[in-house]
Amino acid sequence: MLFNSLSYLFFLPVVFALYWLVNNKSLKLQNLLLLASSYFFYACWDWRFLFLLVFSTGLDYFTGLQMHNAKNQSHKKFWFWLSIIINLGFLGVFKYYNFFVDSFQELLSGFGIQSSFWTLQIILPVGISFYTFHGLSYVIDIYNDRIKPEKNIVDYSLFVSYFPLLVAGPIERATHLLPQLKKKRHFDYHKAMDGFYQILWGLFKKIVIADSCAAYANAIFDNYENANSATLLLGAIYFSFQIYGDFSGYTDIALGTSKLFGIDLLRNFNFPYFSRDIAEFWRRWHISLSSWFRDYLYIPLGGSKGGLKSKVRNTFIIFLVSGFWHGANWTFMVWGLLNAIYFLPLLLTNTNRNHIEIVAKGKSWPTVKEFFSILLTFCLTTFAWIFFRSETLGQAFTYIKNLFSFNFEGGIAYLDIDRYSVELLFLLFAFIVFEWFSREKEHPFFGKAKDILAVFVILMIVVFGVYSQASEFIYFQF
Amino acid sequence: MKQFILKIALFFAVTLFMMLLLDLAYTKVYQTSSPRTKIQFLRTLKGQKIDYIFIGSSRVESGIVPSIIEKKTGKKTLNLGFQAAKLHDIYTLLQLVQNYKIKHERIFIQVDYSYNINQASTIFQPEIIPFMHENEIYDNHLKFDSVHYKQYRYIPFFRYGRNDLKLGFREICLNLAKKKTNAVTYQGYSPLYGNAEKHHFPLPDKIHENNQYIKHIQKFCKKNKINVTFYTAPFCQHTTNLGFISQLKTKIPGLYDFSRTVKDENLFQNANHLNDNGAQYFTEIFADEVLTNK
Repeated sequence: MLFNSLSYLFFLPVVFALYWLVNNKSLKLQNLLLLASSYFFYACWDWRFLFLLVFSTGLDYFTGLQMHNAKNQSHKKFWFWLSIIINLGFLGVFKYYNFFVDSFQELLSGFGIQSSFWTLQIILPVGISFYTFHGLSYVIDIYNDRIKPEKNIVDYSLFVSYFPLLVAGPIERATHLLPQLKKKRHFDYHKAMDGFYQILWGLFKKIVIADSCAAYANAIFDNYENANSATLLLGAIYFSFQIYGDFSGYTDIALGTSKLFGIDLLRNFNFPYFSRDIAEFWRRWHISLSSWFRDYLYIPLGGSKGGLKSKVRNTFIIFLVSGFWHGANWTFMVWGLLNAIYFLPLLLTNTNRNHIEIVAKGKSWPTVKEFFSILLTFCLTTFAWIFFRSETLGQAFTYIKNLFSFNFEGGIAYLDIDRYSVELLFLLFAFIVFEWFSREKEHPFFGKAKDILAVFVILMIVVFGVYSQASEFIYFQF
Repeated sequence: MKQFILKIALFFAVTLFMMLLLDLAYTKVYQTSSPRTKIQFLRTLKGQKIDYIFIGSSRVESGIVPSIIEKKTGKKTLNLGFQAAKLHDIYTLLQLVQNYKIKHERIFIQVDYSYNINQASTIFQPEIIPFMHENEIYDNHLKFDSVHYKQYRYIPFFRYGRNDLKLGFREICLNLAKKKTNAVTYQGYSPLYGNAEKHHFPLPDKIHENNQYIKHIQKFCKKNKINVTFYTAPFCQHTTNLGFISQLKTKIPGLYDFSRTVKDENLFQNANHLNDNGAQYFTEIFADEVLTNK
C-alpha cells in the first residue's frame, strides 16, 4: 500500500476514525489499533515478511529485557551480541548475501578461478533496513544504560512497526518515540491540520515533482550511451529533484500522517538543497540516518577525539557504511566515498560546522557568496547522485565521461517528451522558489493564506500529478 | 474534532468540485478545438462524403498514402489507421463512421495476426476517452475493455488524470494552441522514415478458430450494406510463418494478400512497417490492383 495510492486514501481515514472516535478513551486500545493497522499495512506488501518483522521485534524486546535483568556484564554482553548478530544476520542474508557471493566470484574469476556458489532467489523485505536500525538503536541504548527496556510488548512492537515510518523511516529513537506512545494523546485540531497540510505538501513533492522528473531521468539514464553532454546534465539534475521530491515527499506524508494521531516523528529533511557546503547538506538530508550513524558508529569509533587521523578515518567509515546501507552495489559505495571526499577539506580546515543555521535566516535573499556556495554544493551532490542512480559502476563512469565530453550536438534530447517540454523546468523553478520562502518552517503552509495555498496545491496535484506512470518510492528498495 | 472533520470534508468537496470543473473544461476543449487526433478529426466529418476509408493498425497508418489514391482515382480518401489497433478497435471505428453518417463508397480493413487477438488496443483507448459520455459506441468500447471503466465513468477527471500522457495538461495546451498533427495534415497518414534494424518477425504458428470481432464487423457491414474489402499489408522478407496468411484467407474469403508484395528491404522501416517510400510504392500497387484494376 503506497502513501500515494487510492487504497491508502481509504485506509488512513478508517484508522483515523477508529483511533479517535472508537478508542479515544483507552491508550492501550489506541496503541493496539495502531499496531494492528501497522501489521495490516505491512502485510499489504507481502504477508510472509510480517513473520520476519514480528520475529525481529520479539528478538529485540526479549534481548532488551534479558540485558536489563542480566546478573553480570558477560551475560549482558551475550544477549547484546546475540541481538546484534541476528539482526545484522537477517540484513546480511536478505540484502547483502548475493552481492558478496557475486563479488567473490568475480574476484576469483579475476584470478582465473571459475566458481559457482549458491545464490538466493529472494526478494528484499520492504523496510528491513529501517526496522532493523530501529531495533539496533534500542538494543544499543539499553546495553549502554541510556534507556530502560520497554516492558509492554504492544508499545515496543508499535515503536518498531508504526506504519507511517515502517517502510522508509524516519529512523526513530526509543528515547523520542516510546515516551510519546506511553502518554495519553488528546486530539489537537492545530496539530491535525498541520499534519494534513504536510501530507498535502508531501503528495505534491512526490506526485508532481518526483514522478514528473522520474519520467525524464529514467529516459535519459536508460539511453545514456547515445545522449550528449547537455542531455546528460539535464538527466542528472532531474534525478536530483526526483530523489529529493520522492524521499522528502514520503517523509512529509509520514510525519503528517503521524501528526494526525498526535505523535511527532523525527524531522528527516530540512531543505538540503539550500546547503552551503556538504557538511551542512548531511545535516539536512536524511537526518535520522545521519544522526544514527553519528551516534551509533562515529562516536563509538572515537568520533572527533584522537586527532585528525582518526577523525578522517571515522568520517570515511561512516560515509562508506552509509553508502553500503543504501544497497548491495558498488555504486552506493562509490557514492558514499565521494561524499567523504567532499567532506574531507571541511574536516581538514575545521570548517565542517560553519553553517548550522539555515541560509539567509530572516532575510529574503542570499548573498552572492551564499548563492554560489549553494550552487556548488548542489553541483557536487548532483554529480554524486549519478553513482547512486546508475545500475553499475561502468554505467556511471560512461555517463560521466559522456557528460564531460562537452558534446552539445543535436541539442537537448528528452527535453520534450510526452508529458512536458521546457515547462517542467519552470515547474522546478517555481518549486525551488516555494521552498526558499518556506525554508524557516517545516512546510509552506503557514500564515493566514494557508487554506488558499492548500486549495492551490490540490489543484496542482490534480492537474500536474503523474497518475499513468506512478512509481514506488525510491527508498522502499532500501 | 468536529471542526477538523468539517474542514477536511470542505477540502474534499472543493477538490471534487475542482475535478468536476476540470473534467468539463477538458472535455469541452477536446470537443471543440481543431482536431489533433483521428477521433477528433472523424467527429468533424459528420455527414460528409469520403469515398474510400482505410481502417486498421499502424500498418495502415504508415502504409497507405491517401493523396496518392486521390490522385489516381479522383476519390476522396481517409486513412483511419491507429497504432496497435486490433479488430475490436476496428469494429468501434466502423460503427463510428456509420454513426456520424459519413457517406462512403468502400471501406478497406487491414487484417493480419490481429485475427488472433480479441482484446482492444490500450493505445487506442485514450483517443476515445474524452467522448465516452457522447454515445454508446465509445462507452461500450471502454466498458468491455478498460479495467478502469467505472472510475472513468463516475469519478470526475479520473479519465484525464489516468491518461495524463495523452490527455493531460500539455495536450490541452496543444489543443488550445491549435498545433496540427499528421491526423489532419496528411488525411491520417503518418509516414515513417529510414530503415531501422530489421527484427526477425514470426507470425503465429496457428490461427484461432474464430475472432468474435471479425464476425461483428462482417455482420455490421452486411446489415448496413457497407462495401467492405479485407486485405493484408506487406511484411518484410524476415517474416516467417507466412502460412498464417493462407489460413487467414480461409477465414476471410476474398482477402487481398499483399504480404509478399514489397520485396525491397529498403522500403521497410522495420519488419512489418513500410517507410515513407515503401508506403508510396505500396499505395500505388494497391490502387492499381484493387481500385483501378490495371
